[in-house]
Amino acid sequence: MKVKVRFFARFRELLGTERIAEVAERTTLPDLIKQITQKNIEGHQAIFDERGHFREYVIVMRNARRIDLADAEKNIVADGDDIAVFPPVAGG
Amino acid sequence: MIAIQTEDVDIGNLIKAAKKHGTGAVVVFNGIVRDDDITEMELEAYEDVATQDLEKIAGDATERFNLLHVDVIHRIGRLAVGENILIIIVSAGHREEAYRGSRFIIEAIKAGVPIWKKELTKNGGRWVHGEHGHGSGESR
Repeated sequence: MKVKVRFFARFRELLGTERIAEVAERTTLPDLIKQITQKNIEGHQAIFDERGHFREYVIVMRNARRIDLADAEKNIVADGDDIAVFPPVAGG
Repeated sequence: MIAIQTEDVDIGNLIKAAKKHGTGAVVVFNGIVRDDDITEMELEAYEDVATQDLEKIAGDATERFNLLHVDVIHRIGRLAVGENILIIIVSAGHREEAYRGSRFIIEAIKAGVPIWKKELTKNGGRWVHGEHGHGSGESR
């Protein structure tokens, strides 16, 4: 199945604007993003800490709804999902 | 008018349009690219979500402060020092509601709408850290 992952701001600079990822059934949200970022050390380290957990400032949205990253492991991605990953906002 | 766009707007025309029946006060907030020894500012947004967020914030402010009219225009793209970044125009029957409504909107934007700013300098650039998050990462 295919899912779209978008990055914004500093993460976009490190990882590119958008990726279409082919993922296996039952893939969790953290595993999806690790799969996409694994070949980009700087990008991966900007999003995940040494233990492989999302850094506390990272924001993830799935189909325009913010995900509680404390429960990210319970989030199984579905075909056609639109995932966005970004650092803290700074508009205004 | 609620919009995220590259183009600037005519604030004078928006003020005229904000003077709805019953208006006793119009408050304009105009955020501007400050000269912090930068050459330009680059703004980007998660546009679909940011527009929805702005619409919700405007609706919440209207209900909470009895506003008669709300405009929120947030610009994106490259902006020079002195250019408008954000224009918020609210009208209400009385100044207290208009001031409070305007303040509510700008604080809500800063707290959660997915928009980012990068200050461009002669030596590269640096992402502006949000006021409501923990460090967004090192400057680049």
